[in-house]
Amino acid sequence: MAWYDSDSWATAAFAPHLSTIVITLLVAVVLPILLHQFVYKRATPTTLPSFLLLGPSGAGKTAFLTLTERRAVAAAPTHTSTSPLTIQALLPDSFTPESAHFRSPGDPAYERARRFLLVDTPGHGKLRHFATGQLVNPTHVCGIVFVVDAASVAEEAGLNEAAEYLHDVLLSLQKRYTNAKTSKGPREIPVLVAANKLDLFTALPPHLVKIALEKAVSDVRKSRAKGLKDSGVAMGGEDDGVDEEREWLGGGGEGPFEFRQMDEVGTSVVVKGGNVLGGDGADVRGWLEWIAEQL
Amino acid sequence: MLDTFEILTTSGVVLWSRTYAPIGPNIINSLIRDVFIEERIPPQSEDTGQKPTYRKEGYTLKWTTAKDLGLIFVAVYQSLVHLTWIDKLLDNVRALFTGLFGEELRKEHSSLVDCDKFGPYFDRQIQELERTSDGSASAPNVKLTPPSSSNDSAGEEPPLLPALQKPQRPLYDTSADSTPVPTPDTSRPTTPAQSHLVTAKARPGGKLSRRDRKKATAVSSAPASSGDEASTKRKASGKSAAKKNRTWGEFGAEEDDPSMVLDYSQADARDSTSETETLEEIKPETWGRKTGKGQFVLKDLDEEMDAIIAGQNAERQSSVGSSGIVGSSLGAIGGLFRNVVGGKTLTKEDLAKPLRGMEEHLLKKNVAREAAVRLCEGVERDLVGLKTGSFTTIESTIRTSMEKALTKILTPTSSLDLLREIQTVNSSGRPYVLSIVGVNGVGKSTNLSKIAFFLLQNHHRVLIAAADTFRSGAVEQLRVHVKNLKELSKREGGEVDIFEKGYGKDAANIAADAVTFASKNSFNVVLIDTAGRRHNDQRLMSSLEKFGKLANPDKILMVGEALVGSDSVAQARNFNNSFGPGRGLDGFVISKCDTVGDMVGTLVSMVHATGIPVVFLGVGQHYADLRGLNVGSVCRLLMS
Repeated sequence: MAWYDSDSWATAAFAPHLSTIVITLLVAVVLPILLHQFVYKRATPTTLPSFLLLGPSGAGKTAFLTLTERRAVAAAPTHTSTSPLTIQALLPDSFTPESAHFRSPGDPAYERARRFLLVDTPGHGKLRHFATGQLVNPTHVCGIVFVVDAASVAEEAGLNEAAEYLHDVLLSLQKRYTNAKTSKGPREIPVLVAANKLDLFTALPPHLVKIALEKAVSDVRKSRAKGLKDSGVAMGGEDDGVDEEREWLGGGGEGPFEFRQMDEVGTSVVVKGGNVLGGDGADVRGWLEWIAEQL
Repeated sequence: MLDTFEILTTSGVVLWSRTYAPIGPNIINSLIRDVFIEERIPPQSEDTGQKPTYRKEGYTLKWTTAKDLGLIFVAVYQSLVHLTWIDKLLDNVRALFTGLFGEELRKEHSSLVDCDKFGPYFDRQIQELERTSDGSASAPNVKLTPPSSSNDSAGEEPPLLPALQKPQRPLYDTSADSTPVPTPDTSRPTTPAQSHLVTAKARPGGKLSRRDRKKATAVSSAPASSGDEASTKRKASGKSAAKKNRTWGEFGAEEDDPSMVLDYSQADARDSTSETETLEEIKPETWGRKTGKGQFVLKDLDEEMDAIIAGQNAERQSSVGSSGIVGSSLGAIGGLFRNVVGGKTLTKEDLAKPLRGMEEHLLKKNVAREAAVRLCEGVERDLVGLKTGSFTTIESTIRTSMEKALTKILTPTSSLDLLREIQTVNSSGRPYVLSIVGVNGVGKSTNLSKIAFFLLQNHHRVLIAAADTFRSGAVEQLRVHVKNLKELSKREGGEVDIFEKGYGKDAANIAADAVTFASKNSFNVVLIDTAGRRHNDQRLMSSLEKFGKLANPDKILMVGEALVGSDSVAQARNFNNSFGPGRGLDGFVISKCDTVGDMVGTLVSMVHATGIPVVFLGVGQHYADLRGLNVGSVCRLLMS
């Protein structure tokens, strides 16, 4: 039976049979619908820009998160976190996102531009792997808010803890920049050091927080460089890049570390003060302004 | 009495709380830290029926969790008070809360849950439980209270009626004039009338109120209800209730709304007559109606509450026992399929076999049995009731969970930067003192000299004190080390010397002398070597306490060898406890790690036994073969 015989499939496909018409109609109608479904299913989940909340335990990360979400005068009471939390927040009306200056408030895109995700991470020493996991592959992270307790920074222990954590965060950001394959480098991730609890009497003002942290980070950097090597290679673990020479945070040279040095590796560090709790209401304007700038 | 009850999420947000006596937030924080994060207190399993407890600063905390929703329910009360009904309260509140707000809690990207309306539910629970605990002592038949009887809510109707109404009567009283016994606060929310009103509005109005009215009349005067023989009793009790009301009115005179309490009884009277005079019923001023309604709503709340609790319990039961009867073969096939595809809700039975495999695996890696069992139990607690992700098997889920548990147990809580610590101590003008203890032959002197070498590289002036005055040749051995180190550090710029007093002297005194010698001669680090001792020899171990007091080291490290098996747990524990109360080890040095390959379980065993971090690993024969701990690589070795 050749293809040109009267009862071959080719002839049947072009003959005005009812079945042929039905199949053709079905294909003609259903295929675009399925295609549409497929394409739009894939395209619709637009990812919101997200901000990571890092910082030592008890700095006020979760409190800031609840404050932003509820947009109330005061944050909800919080305790030590043991798991990360992601919330969707809306920028308050008094702030305009950097990318939406030209938009009129009636524009639906204006509303969308004000939305962002806040990712809270536990700050306890044993649970930082949630945060470091996020830092290794920050796809949608467009900013990091590093919350420190401005009152505890005044003391040695609190300062050291905050500085070590900040050092690790900045170092992993720097690694991300230096290990980038493309010449352009990865997208910049700015860091806001949010000096919280300024309502307390013992809190340091933001510029002193900055000086103290810079000094402590350069100490950490120095002692990390001198410290013992990691056990990774010696114990038969595969070489996963943790071996050989250690990374040195910031620009070369033995001088003191400054946050300005991070600009070279695509990370601007800003210190701003505020308080989430407090007698006369919260004051987080500075931080929200910073978030608005990044959006 | 109950001081505070809080419902918080694992991410730290307090969803709902009720405070009767304010407590510092640090108490619950330390509960989370010690129990949930650092797991210092071995969590008792919930099967025993007792909820785990935690004591802190004169408070006792009891808690329970709802894992799938990530909720923690904590009740705080003073340790002096013995509250028997807390367990029941936690269970009931958990069932209620998950039943009421489960949907809202599952919402993504939100921590907002509107829990305002939970207040009345909670108050009713407290009242009920308090009443049962009081009543169980005096009259056992009152025990038939809703939480227990609600399980058969369908068959509640005619035969149970007299029995049911008995408990309802005191309930009625307590809600009206608040349990007079312990704290008036418990039964009286800050704004009772308003909150009841709000909930009243939410209810479909007419039908319910009629039913309630009927009930009310049944209780107060009871002409219509079926239980005839009980009516006289009820009347008597009604009188007694009225009496109670009066006395309470006197006591409650200081409270902000005593009129409400008094009016409340009047409202009842009016309601009983309402069937004859409807016009009268409209007239009474708003207070009475409000309270009357509030009371009806409360009763309705009871039923709703019981229904929710019963529903949650049934759900739990069905999830536990579902595998039994219904077509076991079909269920098995489905289970197998789910096991491959994922989306299976894990039960204890599902986990038992893979977990046993995991335990075996850990034992093979030289983890002590005790530690392996604890890790597996932790994983089981984590996973029971969870759903596996899509296309993940139970085994892989257990694997990731175990990796997480290992990371958590090995990661130190605070930083272990020795150099910074030395700097801090030296800035206060005294030498940093580090001493090393351990069992015989684990490599105390060797690791001490390795640490000395490391410090010398960082240009410190190190004094090594030979406080091993027992074993022959110990001092000479250290002398050789110091000679070598001197040679090596000539170029580096550090300085090292030995402090020795020969054999047979008291080690503690030598250590103390060495510290004073060091501060006089501007050494900034003192390393004290001690004699090896068996951890189960009381005579030798007891001298450590004196040593700890006299030398007062900034850091006491214990050397353990990676070769040791299950004994590691006992070693770590005994050494940790040997320094007397308030002083323990500060870290471990695990030596001979190069000899065990991937069987590095000793690390886990030792950390498990004490919760103290591993600071250094000895990985070879040379002075430079000292390493910090890389948690990731150790986990990988253990899981490989």
